Amino acid sequence: MHNSISDPETATEYDSCEQREFIGDRGDYFLNRIQGETGVNVSACYQCERCTNACPISGFMDIKPHQIIRYVQLGWRIRLLKSSTIWLCLSCEMCTTYCPNEVDVAEIINHLRMMAARSSITPKEKSLAVFHHTFLEELIKSGRVNEFRLMRAYYSKPDILHAKIKNGTFKQELQLAMTLLRKGRLKLSAPKSKAVKEIQKAYFQTRGEIS
Amino acid sequence: MKLSFYPGCSLEGMANDYCESIYAVFKTLGIDLVEIEDWSCCGATAAHSLSEVMSVILPARNLAAADKMGLDIICPCSLCFNRLLFSQKMIKKKIFHIPWHVTGDTRVLDMTRFLAKPSIIKLIKQCVLKPLDSLKVVCYYGCQMVRPPKITGYADYENPQTLDHISAAAGARVIDWSYKSTCCGASIGIGRREIVESLSKRILQKTQQAGAEAIVVSCPLCQSNLDIVQKDRSEPPTPIFYITELLRLSFNYKGNPKWFKMHVADPVPLLKAKGLL
Ligand code: SF4
Ligand code: SF4
Repeated sequence: MHNSISDPETATEYDSCEQREFIGDRGDYFLNRIQGETGVNVSACYQCERCTNACPISGFMDIKPHQIIRYVQLGWRIRLLKSSTIWLCLSCEMCTTYCPNEVDVAEIINHLRMMAARSSITPKEKSLAVFHHTFLEELIKSGRVNEFRLMRAYYSKPDILHAKIKNGTFKQELQLAMTLLRKGRLKLSAPKSKAVKEIQKAYFQTRGEIS
Repeated sequence: MKLSFYPGCSLEGMANDYCESIYAVFKTLGIDLVEIEDWSCCGATAAHSLSEVMSVILPARNLAAADKMGLDIICPCSLCFNRLLFSQKMIKKKIFHIPWHVTGDTRVLDMTRFLAKPSIIKLIKQCVLKPLDSLKVVCYYGCQMVRPPKITGYADYENPQTLDHISAAAGARVIDWSYKSTCCGASIGIGRREIVESLSKRILQKTQQAGAEAIVVSCPLCQSNLDIVQKDRSEPPTPIFYITELLRLSFNYKGNPKWFKMHVADPVPLLKAKGLL
């Protein structure tokens, strides 16, 4: 058999492995973990890309849905948690619905999003990550979510207002808010649920805090 | 007939007109809606994205309250509907500790599927005073109401029919199209406006290509996305009606322009031109 490594013609093309990505550092630990935690058979994926083709926003993603599944198989955890995909995904469930192998892609992405939220990695789509957190905070505060209170809380988060002014979308959003206010769609106050205390207690318990 | 009603946060705020029209329509149909006492938010996308436990517990609280009432729950918001059903599935698994007593057996009905039952369609047809036969509409279902089929129970998730049937019962001319359940962008507009705009504008463009004058929806978030994206458009607006707004219109000889004052894409000129107001 021809040995390409010892072939004098190609012997100089030494592969230093610097460009190569290692398979997950602990074998298929990450794959098994994700499969165990979500109950999704990630190994069933044969990379047909049907999920990506069904996804309405795959064009905006840095790691496409079928690649997400592949990366999980390879155990590339950090890459996944750093991606914009996990925050952009709309949970529209197109991918899951059309996968021929019943790989629940949307659930995997959602699970990665939860992992990313608990990790120390800075989310690539900060504005969206902050929005989810603000929503949950508002919910815990009053039991129901009022759009006006939500937006006020959102804009008072660090960097959000600043980023909006910088990329020029702030003026647009202010105009939009004025239109909605004029149309009577933004309610400045809303009833709260009386169950706030119960909800808060449950929430703190899920976070392991005792109240 | 009596049903317990879970409005959800949107119907208190951005979609307040939806809530009004629902009450009006159910009153005409002679069906009692009893609001779930002291309901709370279902957790929406945020709880789903950040904490699995919260996404089970938050809807469970409302399911527990509905259990006590012993009535089927009717749910106008697609996302609430999806979250309630998801929570029920998880409750049945009995792996989470739920602070409230809840069986998970109460039936959760998506409002459109309830209205599209043959018996209710018959009732609707009896109540129609002024058929909307000059109005050409397409029906838009969005994501959460139909997908994933395992949770929502829609067998015809690729070509859902409920809204089509109801609109047809109100006399509207329903046009078939292929964008019934393409995503509108959901809440991503908060951080990335351009994505929502590209998705919603495509749906509007396809509506025009299908030859329809208006879109019928049942999800408050779909309505606001498709409506708000038309804010600065110069072309004549494509009104986005809630299904109950259409029904209410057909149940009255003379509609009231005030019913539509919360719309950004103003439907009044179109309805006046059609002689429906
Ligand atoms: S559709 Fe399913 S099998 Fe195909 S690439 Fe996506 S996850 Fe893999
Ligand atoms: S759930 Fe997310 S990844 Fe799947 S199709 Fe929708 S946006 Fe794309």
